[in-house]
Amino acid sequence: MISLSDITQWIHKMLFQYLNGTVAYGAELVLAGVAVIALVVAMAIIMVYAERKFAGFFQMRWGPNRVGKWGTLQAIADTVKLMLKECITPNNADKPMFKLAPIIITVVGFLALAPFAFAKGIVLWDMNIGVFYVTAISSLSVIGILMGGWASNNKYSLLGALRSGAQIVSYELSAGLSIAAIIVMSGSMSLNDIILAQTDGWWILRGHIPAIIAFVISIIASTAEANRSPFDLAEGEQELTGGYHTEYSGIQFALFFLAEYTTMFILAMLNITLFLGGWMPFHIPGLTVFNHIMDFIPGIVWFFGKTFFILFLMIWFRWTFPRMRIDKLLKLEWKYLLPISIVNLLFAAFITLMGWHF
Amino acid sequence: MRSIYKYFYDIFHGFYSLWTGMMTTGYYLVHPKKILTQEYPDNRGTTLYIAERFHGEVVMPHDENNEHRCTACSLCQMSCPNGSIEVKSEMIETPEGKKKKVLKQWIYHIDLCTFCGSCIDACPSDAIRMSNEFEHASYTKDAFLKVLNKPGSKLKSKEK
Amino acid sequence: MSAQAIAFYILGALAIVCSALTIFSRMIFRSAIYLLFSLISIAGIYFLMEMDFIAALQIMVYVGGIVVLIIFSIFLTHRSGDKLPCALTKRSLIGGIIALSGLALSGWIILRNTFTATNKPAVDLSIRNIGRQMLDYQQHGYVYPFEIISFLILAALIGCIVIAVKDKKE
Ligand code: SF4
Ligand code: SF4
Repeated sequence: MISLSDITQWIHKMLFQYLNGTVAYGAELVLAGVAVIALVVAMAIIMVYAERKFAGFFQMRWGPNRVGKWGTLQAIADTVKLMLKECITPNNADKPMFKLAPIIITVVGFLALAPFAFAKGIVLWDMNIGVFYVTAISSLSVIGILMGGWASNNKYSLLGALRSGAQIVSYELSAGLSIAAIIVMSGSMSLNDIILAQTDGWWILRGHIPAIIAFVISIIASTAEANRSPFDLAEGEQELTGGYHTEYSGIQFALFFLAEYTTMFILAMLNITLFLGGWMPFHIPGLTVFNHIMDFIPGIVWFFGKTFFILFLMIWFRWTFPRMRIDKLLKLEWKYLLPISIVNLLFAAFITLMGWHF
Repeated sequence: MRSIYKYFYDIFHGFYSLWTGMMTTGYYLVHPKKILTQEYPDNRGTTLYIAERFHGEVVMPHDENNEHRCTACSLCQMSCPNGSIEVKSEMIETPEGKKKKVLKQWIYHIDLCTFCGSCIDACPSDAIRMSNEFEHASYTKDAFLKVLNKPGSKLKSKEK
Repeated sequence: MSAQAIAFYILGALAIVCSALTIFSRMIFRSAIYLLFSLISIAGIYFLMEMDFIAALQIMVYVGGIVVLIIFSIFLTHRSGDKLPCALTKRSLIGGIIALSGLALSGWIILRNTFTATNKPAVDLSIRNIGRQMLDYQQHGYVYPFEIISFLILAALIGCIVIAVKDKKE
């Protein structure tokens, strides 16, 4: 069976055969970049369509159903529309900052994709601190939001940016601590090693209680970090007319929109890599036949299947829960999630020390 | 002790209530038959359902003899908060030789109307009612000026 | 010149230019953003030296933490969007002299120091080793500064709570 890594190996060989070293290396870099951009854009379009369709069904509506069969072309039509629209810059805006903000937020999204393993051997940059790198880079996205909010010279934008900043900065803490619980269990920060450590079963099953608590906290914190409902007060249409991207239009708005979905995608990937084994098929130690059958499903299918499961959960949250008030939001983080995740981290360390996980 | 109990109770209760909400929306997700959307321009004249009590526009029912029940008392005109009604009346002489005020034109400016229904409540003789007609869009402004009494219509006699 | 050297010079130039802009910009928010870019370029240099952990730490602590804090305080300051007035000539003169003497001092040290090439194996950068070193009290151990910093952070936390806590009676 041809796996995805065979294809990349083949491309690698071809390039180095026909071009000299530096040029081939450069060509590979460009190819990887194009692949990442294509992946993100394709994912964003699929996610926007899925989001709107599911939103419809959750709320007893049909969702988009006019453009193309079952509205499948709706997201593409919207993208084209956004690209053709004029980018308006407000008169008193801080113009360079205003233009820079969407670029920063998009670049950050692309950078954070680097250390993920999509299937066996498909990694852009297998660094030994992958998890740490992803959390560090995604903490940068708040800068883009703050910048956009400030540069718009609009009170709504500024308030939205402030709220979003406070939210992302505080939820990063509990997200980081719940990630740390898994790092403790697998003893490595490399996303590849963490996946390989789950050959005998995913952490959420093997790590039982602390892993499940960490998973729940991590999902809540991811929803908050992606600025999605019920934590979407940064946008708060009813109060803030759209939050930090009130003043943006055209392709600049599209970049913000893309970045939002990229963040969501990255967080979903991070969660499945840590808790649900990334591309690792579902294995039960001892049942060799079962494991072999599971191995027949390629890793990329497992990976995207699990990613879409998490994304589906996030969509489900968004269309079920009402928006939280800002003080309740911060209370949830500082009074509930943070203490619980600190205790949970200690518990996870204890369990790992005693070897009580399976 | 009590506050510790409350802390954990809040957590589990919170999860329980979130779960209830998710079950509700999840139920709708897997039951597409429940969808309420009316695909409007497509189902026009077939399955389109507008509730009977929907305030679409003010109409004046006429019976088969082209008779209405408006006595031209203009109470409706006075009750309308937006001035969208003009009741024009005229004095005619009945065959018995009595002078009588009858309705000439019941002018309805639908573009001013907020469909509040005050006029219907105010009318002492139930001459007007709300219909559930809602497709009022038009390219010209003239279409918004309506005369509700049909030409040549008469007041229904009381005895009937 | 190798690609690595080119990348190093680009990052270095970016760091220097952005730091200069941080100081000379008269819009306080832009200063913060230039500072951000300068810190990111330094993180890039760490990445170039394959010190991934320190680079990520630089981004997380300085960029994701300190700069965000600075931006927050700018947001909450009154009239922070205006252009600041130019500094007084006397003050900028004194500041310039101090900065130049700092540059001279560090330049003198760098020029005097002879950098010798070694062929010792590179330091083990796995987090396991970093954690061990952090709590090691033998040679190359960092347990003492580590503990002192923990106490400092604890003190700062308690201080925050004391400041933030409201008196019930009021
Ligand atoms: S429905 Fe209300 S606004 Fe319309 S005509 Fe009657 S009283 Fe006036
Ligand atoms: S519609 Fe009713 S209230 Fe209005 S003038 Fe006629 S009878 Fe009077």
